[in-house]
Amino acid sequence: MAHFAKISEDNIVLQVLAVDDKDVKNENNVETESVGQAYLETHNNWPANMWIQTSYNTFNNQHRNGGIPLRGNYAGIGHTWDQDNQIFWPVKPFASWVKLISEARWQSPIGDAPELTQEQQDQNAANTHWWFYSWNEDNQSWDLTNRLA
Amino acid sequence: MQKKVLSEQALYYGDVSMPKGFEINPDKLKSDILQTSIENKDFKFSKNFDKLNNFITDHIRVKYGINLVNQSMWGNFYKPFSNTEPLLEVDPVDLKNSPDFVLLYGVQLKNCFIKIFYDDNRRKGRSWDMELKNNMFVMFPSTNMYIVKNKKSEDLNFIQTITYEYI
Repeated sequence: MAHFAKISEDNIVLQVLAVDDKDVKNENNVETESVGQAYLETHNNWPANMWIQTSYNTFNNQHRNGGIPLRGNYAGIGHTWDQDNQIFWPVKPFASWVKLISEARWQSPIGDAPELTQEQQDQNAANTHWWFYSWNEDNQSWDLTNRLA
Repeated sequence: MQKKVLSEQALYYGDVSMPKGFEINPDKLKSDILQTSIENKDFKFSKNFDKLNNFITDHIRVKYGINLVNQSMWGNFYKPFSNTEPLLEVDPVDLKNSPDFVLLYGVQLKNCFIKIFYDDNRRKGRSWDMELKNNMFVMFPSTNMYIVKNKKSEDLNFIQTITYEYI
Protein backbone atom coordinates (compact mmCIF):
# COMPACT_ATOMS: atom_id res chain seq x y z
CA MET A 1 0.00 0.00 0.00
CA ALA A 2 1.12 3.53 -0.73
CA HIS A 3 -0.27 6.44 1.25
CA PHE A 4 -1.11 9.88 -0.06
CA ALA A 5 -2.14 13.01 1.81
CA LYS A 6 -4.80 15.23 0.29
CA ILE A 7 -3.85 18.82 1.00
CA SER A 8 -5.90 22.00 0.88
CA GLU A 9 -4.88 25.15 -0.94
CA ASP A 10 -3.38 26.42 2.32
CA ASN A 11 -1.37 23.19 2.71
CA ILE A 12 -3.44 21.58 5.47
CA VAL A 13 -3.81 17.80 5.28
CA LEU A 14 -7.50 17.07 4.67
CA GLN A 15 -7.30 13.30 4.56
CA VAL A 16 -4.89 10.45 3.96
CA LEU A 17 -5.74 7.64 1.57
CA ALA A 18 -4.12 4.29 0.96
CA VAL A 19 -3.66 3.31 -2.68
CA ASP A 20 -3.05 -0.18 -3.96
CA ASP A 21 0.56 -0.70 -5.03
CA LYS A 22 -0.48 -1.55 -8.59
CA ASP A 23 -2.03 1.91 -8.95
CA VAL A 24 1.22 3.72 -8.19
CA LYS A 25 3.47 1.74 -10.53
CA ASN A 26 4.60 3.00 -13.91
CA GLU A 27 4.93 0.98 -17.09
CA ASN A 28 8.27 -0.41 -15.83
CA ASN A 29 6.59 -1.64 -12.64
CA VAL A 30 8.39 0.96 -10.51
CA GLU A 31 6.49 2.78 -7.78
CA THR A 32 6.16 6.40 -8.91
CA GLU A 33 4.49 9.21 -6.99
CA SER A 34 3.17 10.92 -10.10
CA VAL A 35 1.34 7.74 -11.15
CA GLY A 36 -0.41 7.59 -7.79
CA GLN A 37 -1.21 11.30 -7.98
CA ALA A 38 -2.76 10.88 -11.42
CA TYR A 39 -4.81 7.92 -10.19
CA LEU A 40 -6.09 9.93 -7.23
CA GLU A 41 -6.93 12.94 -9.38
CA THR A 42 -9.04 10.74 -11.64
CA HIS A 43 -10.88 8.98 -8.85
CA ASN A 44 -11.14 11.69 -6.21
CA ASN A 45 -11.76 14.90 -8.17
CA TRP A 46 -8.83 16.69 -6.57
CA PRO A 47 -5.73 17.95 -8.44
CA ALA A 48 -2.78 15.59 -8.74
CA ASN A 49 -0.32 18.12 -7.30
CA MET A 50 -2.40 18.32 -4.14
CA TRP A 51 -1.85 14.64 -3.33
CA ILE A 52 1.50 14.18 -1.60
CA GLN A 53 2.91 10.75 -0.92
CA THR A 54 3.63 10.03 2.73
CA SER A 55 5.30 7.17 4.56
CA TYR A 56 3.41 5.19 7.17
CA ASN A 57 6.71 4.27 8.85
CA THR A 58 8.28 7.72 9.05
CA PHE A 59 8.26 9.62 12.34
CA ASN A 60 10.53 12.50 13.36
CA ASN A 61 12.53 12.01 10.19
CA GLN A 62 13.36 8.40 11.04
CA HIS A 63 12.08 5.27 9.38
CA ARG A 64 10.87 2.87 12.02
CA ASN A 65 12.16 -0.17 10.11
CA GLY A 66 15.51 1.38 9.31
CA GLY A 67 14.55 2.38 5.78
CA ILE A 68 14.75 5.79 4.18
CA PRO A 69 12.42 8.28 5.87
CA LEU A 70 10.04 10.21 3.63
CA ARG A 71 8.95 13.78 4.31
CA GLY A 72 9.58 13.92 8.03
CA ASN A 73 6.42 12.41 9.42
CA TYR A 74 3.51 10.30 8.35
CA ALA A 75 0.83 12.81 7.42
CA GLY A 76 -2.26 13.10 9.58
CA ILE A 77 -5.45 15.07 9.23
CA GLY A 78 -4.78 18.64 10.31
CA HIS A 79 -1.03 18.44 9.73
CA THR A 80 0.63 21.10 7.61
CA TRP A 81 2.53 20.36 4.44
CA ASP A 82 5.79 22.31 4.26
CA GLN A 83 6.71 22.37 0.59
CA ASP A 84 10.05 24.14 1.13
CA ASN A 85 11.36 21.62 3.65
CA GLN A 86 9.38 18.65 2.30
CA ILE A 87 7.98 17.86 5.74
CA PHE A 88 4.54 17.10 7.16
CA TRP A 89 4.30 19.00 10.43
CA PRO A 90 1.93 17.98 13.20
CA VAL A 91 -0.01 20.74 14.94
CA LYS A 92 2.29 23.06 16.88
CA PRO A 93 1.93 22.09 20.55
CA PHE A 94 2.71 25.55 21.99
CA ALA A 95 2.80 28.97 20.40
CA SER A 96 6.45 29.54 21.29
CA TRP A 97 7.79 26.27 19.91
CA VAL A 98 9.98 26.27 16.84
CA LYS A 99 10.67 23.85 14.02
CA LEU A 100 13.60 21.49 14.39
CA ILE A 101 13.86 20.70 10.72
CA SER A 102 16.58 18.07 10.93
CA GLU A 103 14.35 15.90 13.12
CA ALA A 104 10.99 17.05 11.68
CA ARG A 105 9.58 17.92 15.07
CA TRP A 106 8.66 20.88 17.23
CA GLN A 107 11.01 21.96 19.98
CA SER A 108 10.68 24.43 22.82
CA PRO A 109 12.66 27.67 22.46
CA ILE A 110 14.99 26.50 25.26
CA GLY A 111 15.45 23.02 23.85
CA ASP A 112 14.18 19.66 25.00
CA ALA A 113 13.22 18.82 28.57
CA PRO A 114 16.18 17.98 30.82
CA GLU A 115 16.89 14.31 31.47
CA LEU A 116 15.56 12.92 34.73
CA THR A 117 18.26 12.21 37.30
CA GLN A 118 19.13 8.61 38.09
CA GLU A 119 17.37 8.97 41.44
CA GLN A 120 14.18 10.22 39.77
CA GLN A 121 14.32 7.39 37.24
CA ASP A 122 14.73 4.88 40.06
CA GLN A 123 11.77 6.35 41.92
CA ASN A 124 9.65 6.15 38.76
CA ALA A 125 10.69 2.53 38.31
CA ALA A 126 9.74 1.77 41.91
CA ASN A 127 6.37 3.48 41.36
CA THR A 128 6.91 5.66 44.40
CA HIS A 129 6.98 8.76 42.19
CA TRP A 130 6.04 9.68 38.68
CA TRP A 131 8.48 12.41 37.70
CA PHE A 132 8.19 14.12 34.41
CA TYR A 133 8.86 17.51 32.86
CA SER A 134 5.98 19.47 31.38
CA TRP A 135 6.25 22.63 29.35
CA ASN A 136 5.13 25.84 31.04
CA GLU A 137 4.21 28.22 28.25
CA ASP A 138 3.64 31.17 30.57
CA ASN A 139 7.07 30.95 32.19
CA GLN A 140 8.79 29.50 29.13
CA SER A 141 10.32 26.76 31.27
CA TRP A 142 10.32 23.01 31.80
CA ASP A 143 8.62 22.29 35.13
CA LEU A 144 9.43 19.11 37.01
CA THR A 145 6.28 17.51 38.37
CA ASN A 146 5.53 14.41 40.38
CA ARG A 147 2.13 13.16 39.23
CA LEU A 148 1.79 10.89 42.27
CA ALA A 149 2.25 13.76 44.72
CA MET B 1 -14.97 31.21 37.38
CA GLN B 2 -15.27 28.80 34.49
CA LYS B 3 -17.67 28.07 31.67
CA LYS B 4 -18.76 24.80 30.11
CA VAL B 5 -20.61 24.80 26.79
CA LEU B 6 -23.14 21.96 26.92
CA SER B 7 -24.68 22.49 23.53
CA GLU B 8 -24.12 24.82 20.65
CA GLN B 9 -26.21 26.13 17.81
CA ALA B 10 -23.72 27.20 15.21
CA LEU B 11 -23.95 28.14 11.56
CA TYR B 12 -21.11 27.17 9.29
CA TYR B 13 -20.95 29.04 6.03
CA GLY B 14 -18.61 30.16 3.32
CA ASP B 15 -17.58 29.63 -0.27
CA VAL B 16 -16.75 26.26 -1.73
CA SER B 17 -13.28 27.25 -2.91
CA MET B 18 -12.28 24.32 -5.05
CA PRO B 19 -8.84 24.31 -6.65
CA LYS B 20 -8.58 25.95 -10.07
CA GLY B 21 -9.76 23.66 -12.83
CA PHE B 22 -11.75 21.52 -10.38
CA GLU B 23 -14.61 23.91 -9.69
CA ILE B 24 -18.14 22.60 -9.31
CA ASN B 25 -20.04 22.92 -12.58
CA PRO B 26 -23.33 24.64 -11.65
CA ASP B 27 -24.95 23.80 -14.99
CA LYS B 28 -24.38 20.08 -14.49
CA LEU B 29 -25.69 20.22 -10.92
CA LYS B 30 -28.68 22.25 -12.06
CA SER B 31 -29.42 19.74 -14.77
CA ASP B 32 -29.25 16.90 -12.22
CA ILE B 33 -31.71 18.74 -9.99
CA LEU B 34 -34.14 19.31 -12.87
CA GLN B 35 -33.83 15.74 -14.11
CA THR B 36 -34.46 14.35 -10.64
CA SER B 37 -37.51 16.54 -10.30
CA ILE B 38 -38.93 15.62 -13.73
CA GLU B 39 -38.36 11.90 -13.25
CA ASN B 40 -39.40 12.05 -9.59
CA LYS B 41 -36.43 9.93 -8.59
CA ASP B 42 -33.82 10.11 -5.85
CA PHE B 43 -31.03 12.58 -6.46
CA LYS B 44 -28.27 10.75 -8.27
CA PHE B 45 -24.67 10.74 -7.20
CA SER B 46 -22.47 12.68 -9.59
CA LYS B 47 -18.92 13.95 -9.93
CA ASN B 48 -20.04 17.49 -9.12
CA PHE B 49 -21.98 16.39 -6.10
CA ASP B 50 -18.95 14.40 -4.95
CA LYS B 51 -16.75 17.50 -5.21
CA LEU B 52 -19.15 19.50 -3.08
CA ASN B 53 -19.69 16.79 -0.52
CA ASN B 54 -15.99 15.99 -0.11
CA PHE B 55 -15.08 19.65 0.18
CA ILE B 56 -17.57 20.12 2.99
CA THR B 57 -16.80 16.96 4.95
CA ASP B 58 -13.01 17.38 4.61
CA HIS B 59 -12.93 21.03 5.63
CA ILE B 60 -15.46 20.77 8.45
CA ARG B 61 -13.47 17.84 9.88
CA VAL B 62 -10.16 19.69 9.78
CA LYS B 63 -11.43 23.07 10.90
CA TYR B 64 -14.04 22.13 13.49
CA GLY B 65 -13.33 18.48 14.31
CA ILE B 66 -16.80 17.34 13.22
CA ASN B 67 -17.00 14.08 11.30
CA LEU B 68 -19.97 14.27 8.97
CA VAL B 69 -21.69 11.33 7.35
CA ASN B 70 -24.19 11.81 4.54
CA GLN B 71 -27.76 11.01 5.26
CA SER B 72 -29.70 12.30 2.28
CA MET B 73 -29.45 14.73 -0.58
CA TRP B 74 -31.80 16.47 -2.94
CA GLY B 75 -32.07 19.57 -5.05
CA ASN B 76 -34.76 22.23 -5.27
CA PHE B 77 -35.57 25.06 -7.61
CA TYR B 78 -37.68 28.04 -6.73
CA LYS B 79 -39.81 30.33 -8.82
CA PRO B 80 -39.30 34.11 -8.72
CA PHE B 81 -40.73 35.77 -5.62
CA SER B 82 -41.61 32.46 -3.98
CA ASN B 83 -41.07 31.69 -0.32
CA THR B 84 -41.09 28.21 1.10
CA GLU B 85 -43.14 27.10 4.04
CA PRO B 86 -41.06 26.81 7.22
CA LEU B 87 -38.90 23.71 6.68
CA LEU B 88 -37.62 21.35 9.33
CA GLU B 89 -35.36 18.42 8.49
CA VAL B 90 -35.48 16.75 11.89
CA ASP B 91 -38.39 14.42 12.50
CA PRO B 92 -39.52 15.12 16.08
CA VAL B 93 -41.06 11.66 16.39
CA ASP B 94 -38.06 9.86 14.89
CA LEU B 95 -35.00 11.61 16.27
CA LYS B 96 -32.94 8.45 16.01
CA ASN B 97 -33.11 8.47 12.23
CA SER B 98 -33.03 12.22 11.80
CA PRO B 99 -30.00 14.15 10.59
CA ASP B 100 -27.86 16.40 12.77
CA PHE B 101 -27.14 19.08 10.20
CA VAL B 102 -28.69 20.57 7.08
CA LEU B 103 -26.51 22.03 4.38
CA LEU B 104 -27.79 24.37 1.68
CA TYR B 105 -25.56 25.07 -1.30
CA GLY B 106 -26.19 27.82 -3.82
CA VAL B 107 -26.04 26.19 -7.25
CA GLN B 108 -27.42 29.10 -9.23
CA LEU B 109 -28.97 31.94 -7.30
CA LYS B 110 -29.76 35.58 -7.29
CA ASN B 111 -31.42 37.45 -4.46
CA CYS B 112 -32.02 34.32 -2.42
CA PHE B 113 -32.24 34.63 1.36
CA ILE B 114 -32.35 31.99 4.06
CA LYS B 115 -34.13 32.75 7.33
CA ILE B 116 -33.04 30.39 10.09
CA PHE B 117 -35.10 30.27 13.26
CA TYR B 118 -33.63 29.54 16.67
CA ASP B 119 -34.37 29.81 20.36
CA ASP B 120 -32.14 31.71 22.72
CA ASN B 121 -33.15 30.17 26.05
CA ARG B 122 -36.51 31.73 26.94
CA ARG B 123 -36.35 34.07 23.96
CA LYS B 124 -38.18 31.93 21.43
CA GLY B 125 -38.57 32.32 17.70
CA ARG B 126 -35.55 34.43 16.97
CA SER B 127 -34.23 34.34 13.43
CA TRP B 128 -31.10 34.97 11.45
CA ASP B 129 -31.24 36.05 7.82
CA MET B 130 -28.49 35.58 5.34
CA GLU B 131 -28.15 35.80 1.61
CA LEU B 132 -27.15 32.56 -0.07
CA LYS B 133 -25.04 33.21 -3.13
CA ASN B 134 -23.65 31.13 -5.95
CA ASN B 135 -21.10 28.54 -4.83
CA MET B 136 -21.72 29.38 -1.17
CA PHE B 137 -22.97 27.02 1.52
CA VAL B 138 -24.61 27.36 4.88
CA MET B 139 -24.88 24.47 7.33
CA PHE B 140 -26.91 24.54 10.54
CA PRO B 141 -28.47 22.13 13.05
CA SER B 142 -31.40 20.15 11.70
CA THR B 143 -33.49 21.23 14.68
CA ASN B 144 -33.54 24.78 13.32
CA MET B 145 -36.53 25.61 11.16
CA TYR B 146 -35.76 27.62 8.03
CA ILE B 147 -37.37 29.42 5.13
CA VAL B 148 -36.01 30.01 1.64
CA LYS B 149 -37.00 33.42 0.27
CA ASN B 150 -36.56 34.20 -3.41
CA LYS B 151 -36.64 37.85 -4.36
CA LYS B 152 -35.44 37.36 -7.89
CA SER B 153 -37.75 38.60 -10.63
CA GLU B 154 -36.70 36.26 -13.43
CA ASP B 155 -35.32 32.72 -13.79
CA LEU B 156 -35.27 30.01 -11.16
CA ASN B 157 -33.08 29.69 -8.09
CA PHE B 158 -31.37 26.32 -7.57
CA ILE B 159 -30.30 25.00 -4.19
CA GLN B 160 -28.65 21.68 -3.37
CA THR B 161 -29.54 20.32 0.05
CA ILE B 162 -27.53 17.69 1.93
CA THR B 163 -28.31 16.36 5.38
CA TYR B 164 -25.61 14.95 7.63
CA GLU B 165 -25.19 13.00 10.81
CA TYR B 166 -22.09 13.50 12.84
CA ILE B 167 -20.16 10.69 14.47
